[in-house]
Amino acid sequence: MHSILAVDDSASMRQMVSFTLKNAGFNVVEAVDGQDAFEKANSRDFNLVLTDQNMPRLDGIGLTRKLRENPKFKTTPILILTTESSDQMKQAGRAAGATGWLVKPFDPAKLVEVIGKVIR
Amino acid sequence: MLAQQDSGPPEGAGMSLLAAADLQDHLLVASNDLERLQRLLSDACDSLMGHFYAASGELRTLLHGAAVQAGAEQPQLHRAMEHMAGAITAMQFQDLASQLVDHTNRRLRNCADRLASQAMGDDEDGEAVIGEAPLRPNPVIQDEMDAGSVELF
Repeated sequence: MHSILAVDDSASMRQMVSFTLKNAGFNVVEAVDGQDAFEKANSRDFNLVLTDQNMPRLDGIGLTRKLRENPKFKTTPILILTTESSDQMKQAGRAAGATGWLVKPFDPAKLVEVIGKVIR
Repeated sequence: MLAQQDSGPPEGAGMSLLAAADLQDHLLVASNDLERLQRLLSDACDSLMGHFYAASGELRTLLHGAAVQAGAEQPQLHRAMEHMAGAITAMQFQDLASQLVDHTNRRLRNCADRLASQAMGDDEDGEAVIGEAPLRPNPVIQDEMDAGSVELF
């Protein structure tokens, strides 16, 4: 079973992402912000990281940049799921090494479809 | 909240102290109301989510039971699960609303603090405490709960 690290500082968003992904058959580990995610990512393997952008301590783009520095996460898909939709932010995410940019609110079926396309 | 100073408003304030105090009061009332709105949204969302997950769990149990008993899953139950999943998009309102309210509240607080500082000068200790204004425009520009865009790089 594929494992996904779901990162969001909003408890309700984490619950909804987990609900959606678990229903689709994924194993989900939750993290409350980028720093928490970085620590969890280093302690085990994940097939995909799905992260919010605006979070305390470490944001989604910062997390992406840090994960990409680790050879273990060189090719792991990293999707940023955020309210942010400006081209400037998307380009920053792309430059950091993100695989894709999803704007909230997400559609459960579409989210599962996109993950299915990129997960390794 | 605002004490009248002997020296009057600083030059260039352009507004009487009384008017500034009144305006600041209005801003702070609006700010407090926004904080109350945050708590209401959070409370409502917690309750909504609790019932949503409980109902989903019951449906899943029914689906499993139906599959075991009849050897085939019930289409109505499947459709009910699909409706539950469909509600997920709209249920993300709390995350968006919370960010929107927080951003607006910080802007209001900053306006109230700046107004007080401009009208009355520094505090007794010689410092004007001004709440930090948001550094950039509100990131939440959505005005409806339609699903957002997806872009793969």
